[in-house]
Amino acid sequence: MGLVSWLIILPFLTAMAVLMVPAKNWKAIRWISLTGTGMHLMLTAFTTMKFWALASQDIPAMKTATMTKLYFVERVTWFQTLGIDYFVGLDGISMSMVILTSIIIFAGTLASWNVEERTKEFFVLLLTLVTGVFGVFMSFDLFLFFMFYEVAVLPMYLLIGIWGTGPKEYAAMKLTLMLMVGSALILVGMLAVYHASGLHTFDLIRLATVNYPASLQTWVFPMFFLGFGVLGALYPFHTWSPDGHASAPTAVSMLHAGVLMKLGGYGALRIAVYLLPEGAKEWGLFFMGLTTINIVYGSFGAIMQKDLKYFTAYSSVSHCGFVLFGVAAMNLMGFKGAIIQMFSHGIMTGLFFALIGMVYGRTHTRIIPDMGGLAKVMPWLAVCFYVGGMASLGLPGFAGFVAESHVFMGGFFGNNFMNPVAMKTLTIIATVSIVVTAVYVLRGLATVFQGPITNHHFHELTDATLTEKLSTGLLVATLAVVGFMPWYFIDLIEASIFPFVNRLQASGTMVAFH
Amino acid sequence: MLMLPELTIIGTAFLLIIVDLFLHEHRKAVLGGIAMAGVLLALGFTIGMMPQSGELFGGRFAVDSVTWWFKLLFLLASLITLAISIDLLDGRIDAKHMALQARGEYYAIMLFSLAGAMYLASARDLVTLYVSLELATIPLYILTAWKRDTLSSESGLKYVILGALASAFLLYGLGLMFGLTGEMNLEAIGRSVTPSPTFWLAAAMVTAGISFKLTLFPFHMWAAEVYQGAPAPVTAYLSVASKAAGLALMFQVFYRMMGHQLMAWAWPLAILAALTMTVGNLAAIVQNNIKRFMAFSAISQAGYLILGFLGNSDEGIPSMLYYMLVYILTNLAAFAVIVWYSNQTGRERIEEYRGLARVNPLVALAMMIALFSLAGIPPLSGFVGKFFLFSIASKAGFHWLVAVAAVNSTISLYYYLRIIRQMYIEPVGQETRALSISPVLAVTLAITTLATGAIGIIPMVYETVSAQTISWFLPFIH
Repeated sequence: MGLVSWLIILPFLTAMAVLMVPAKNWKAIRWISLTGTGMHLMLTAFTTMKFWALASQDIPAMKTATMTKLYFVERVTWFQTLGIDYFVGLDGISMSMVILTSIIIFAGTLASWNVEERTKEFFVLLLTLVTGVFGVFMSFDLFLFFMFYEVAVLPMYLLIGIWGTGPKEYAAMKLTLMLMVGSALILVGMLAVYHASGLHTFDLIRLATVNYPASLQTWVFPMFFLGFGVLGALYPFHTWSPDGHASAPTAVSMLHAGVLMKLGGYGALRIAVYLLPEGAKEWGLFFMGLTTINIVYGSFGAIMQKDLKYFTAYSSVSHCGFVLFGVAAMNLMGFKGAIIQMFSHGIMTGLFFALIGMVYGRTHTRIIPDMGGLAKVMPWLAVCFYVGGMASLGLPGFAGFVAESHVFMGGFFGNNFMNPVAMKTLTIIATVSIVVTAVYVLRGLATVFQGPITNHHFHELTDATLTEKLSTGLLVATLAVVGFMPWYFIDLIEASIFPFVNRLQASGTMVAFH
Repeated sequence: MLMLPELTIIGTAFLLIIVDLFLHEHRKAVLGGIAMAGVLLALGFTIGMMPQSGELFGGRFAVDSVTWWFKLLFLLASLITLAISIDLLDGRIDAKHMALQARGEYYAIMLFSLAGAMYLASARDLVTLYVSLELATIPLYILTAWKRDTLSSESGLKYVILGALASAFLLYGLGLMFGLTGEMNLEAIGRSVTPSPTFWLAAAMVTAGISFKLTLFPFHMWAAEVYQGAPAPVTAYLSVASKAAGLALMFQVFYRMMGHQLMAWAWPLAILAALTMTVGNLAAIVQNNIKRFMAFSAISQAGYLILGFLGNSDEGIPSMLYYMLVYILTNLAAFAVIVWYSNQTGRERIEEYRGLARVNPLVALAMMIALFSLAGIPPLSGFVGKFFLFSIASKAGFHWLVAVAAVNSTISLYYYLRIIRQMYIEPVGQETRALSISPVLAVTLAITTLATGAIGIIPMVYETVSAQTISWFLPFIH
């Protein structure tokens, strides 16, 4: 078994190890989970180093390539008669998403340190879910991809249903069903592409060498994009996300907003745009329009929220809009921005949900007007919250700025197959959200943390514990590192983005914007 | 000896009736063992004769690769059903009044039905086909009414009347086929029949008769009543073996008799499939009795199953056989839990499963795996099976049908999650306590659950089915 397989299987093995421990040793269970995810983080770091060394040399060569170059490939025939392989590997985009997921699950395990009810089942489900996520990011066989995709979605039902708060059963069911309808659309498109290619293989890389008939692309592309869009909270299919995030327990919100929603953007780019470039050109402007609504609507939605979790959830809808906006802009800048935004939003929103969980654990309220002056009693949490907030409103120096500037430039400078005036107009409308985001972030943070302490119970509250400091500190550090030194991160992904752009280019006339 | 498995089954059935006469009441537990031993022996014979194919009685009885697989499926379904029945008939029962009487006859009648299904797969002319179908069906009427309470008798009667109606349809269709061609042999009919209005009338009649067996819309109505009224193990048997027999009948008729016209019959089949899965799924949402619920779930599964007939794809046959295998294992795993629970507590309502995960975590896990597999959640075999079937529909160009089927899977997930929610999320009821499980049932449950997971991941099963049956139907369509 190679490196990539280990990256996929390690969380599952950890889940199995947890399963072996009797449920009453819940303290041992969380240590096992932490060890497993910690080992995963180290393995990811090691893989990243190796990957870097290999991939950075390939950047010049990839500039003209139309075929994604994979590293650490493993391929085993699975269902031979149907051309299904166990085919996993890494390219820059996968690598960045794996780093994101590995960080979030480690921080999430730390943030779930106080789950005392049915701890064993909680960690088993959490780790199973994360196995699915890693599988999606590293598989390059459509069947395998789809399989992991559903494994990543389903445990969410029980995680929210059992450990959630508020109208948890409603939220869990809504989330599961909406995401499953999305995956139904993906399934239809996937099978249509498989049979249309005539290659008798589910190998994504080989399927992307075919020029599909325009009639097929026209209807399959929106299937894919909407299917993944549901998971990426594309307007108007985002409604599961605020309810789901608000009801979910801390670590699940972190994983879900931080990582799972990224599967949507990832799939939209990797599968929808890459396989069907002509369909993408045809539908690009339409989806840019939808994602513009996403961005603006999400930010206005966040202004209106009183509950911290709903607040963050709506801000996630807005920020995930940037991801799909970047994808729909269909040029090098846009794609790059989309991926950096996936990473930065993942870390940022993970940080937010972790902090909200910690604050809620102390104040037992998530209603913003009920809180005030908390910075005096919990300075660490307040500082982290501010860092997250600044990153979220796109302050230079944090990853969010790098991402948003890329996305907006991508949208503004456009490409030569979509109406430039329309693209510019949409981009300008989308930039409104920067202002709105600043309003709600600053106002929200000021209410919760600044001013005098409004409730005398709050005087007795304590600051972050060691595990909490570790968890949030890791996330804050990541945000800053990517913000200050984005070029390392861009080096990681850039070589892998060229094929997407070049395939678009090859299928029509397009000048990539550099 | 091509007929050895069938003869073993019939011999075992007679042996059971005779031994039953001489056994003292408290020794009768041995009868279940005899029945299972007989089925195991037949299973051994079947597996042993795999490479063999050939015919008897001037071609009226024949064995080939697809026949062989069907027999394997029937035997497997019966074996598991018998293991589940033993729990109800001889198990350590809390609710004594739920117990069934006359065990020896019960097993014997079930074996007769099994023999009928096996002959059905081997039948090669109209008379053998029809007689073996009735041999498979009539014992099921009796078994349905076995409990002799109002509900059971009522459902038995309904089953007889509607079953007779379906047989009438089928007979009419088969009669017309004979009239059109003057042939009794199925393949001879297939070779000489030409499309004509009468032929399509006959095809419609035959399809109606098959639809009844397979519970396809609009001939599915009997299923809910009968499944609810019948004793739980009989429901389990009905939901798998009767459906597999329906599929075998469909193979006989559609490929052997109508193979040349199958392409033209694709649209009606596609609409039938779409309606069946949609109606089954929508009706399942509102059910409260778990056996009724499983009836509608089974109806929708039949809708997915017939996707394999679309477009004369060579992958259709292995896909359908594989899905049938998956369905048998999965559904029987779910039914093992249902039988056990209603046997131990007398409860059959979905709300009454609340908190099961807290008191019997392993049983609840098995149930959850079975339900997820039925809903088509990866990496369980139900997903793989469905995926292959959807792929056939997509290949045939029925993209809208794939969409309908995939959305239906989502709807089905909704109602399967209702049970999972009761078991896992709802708090434990006051009267809920850990229940004991008999070793036979525990082993059955463990094996079916593991198989549900394994045959989706290990490609060997599908590859074997595929290698043996992929070109089977070519002679019938060219």
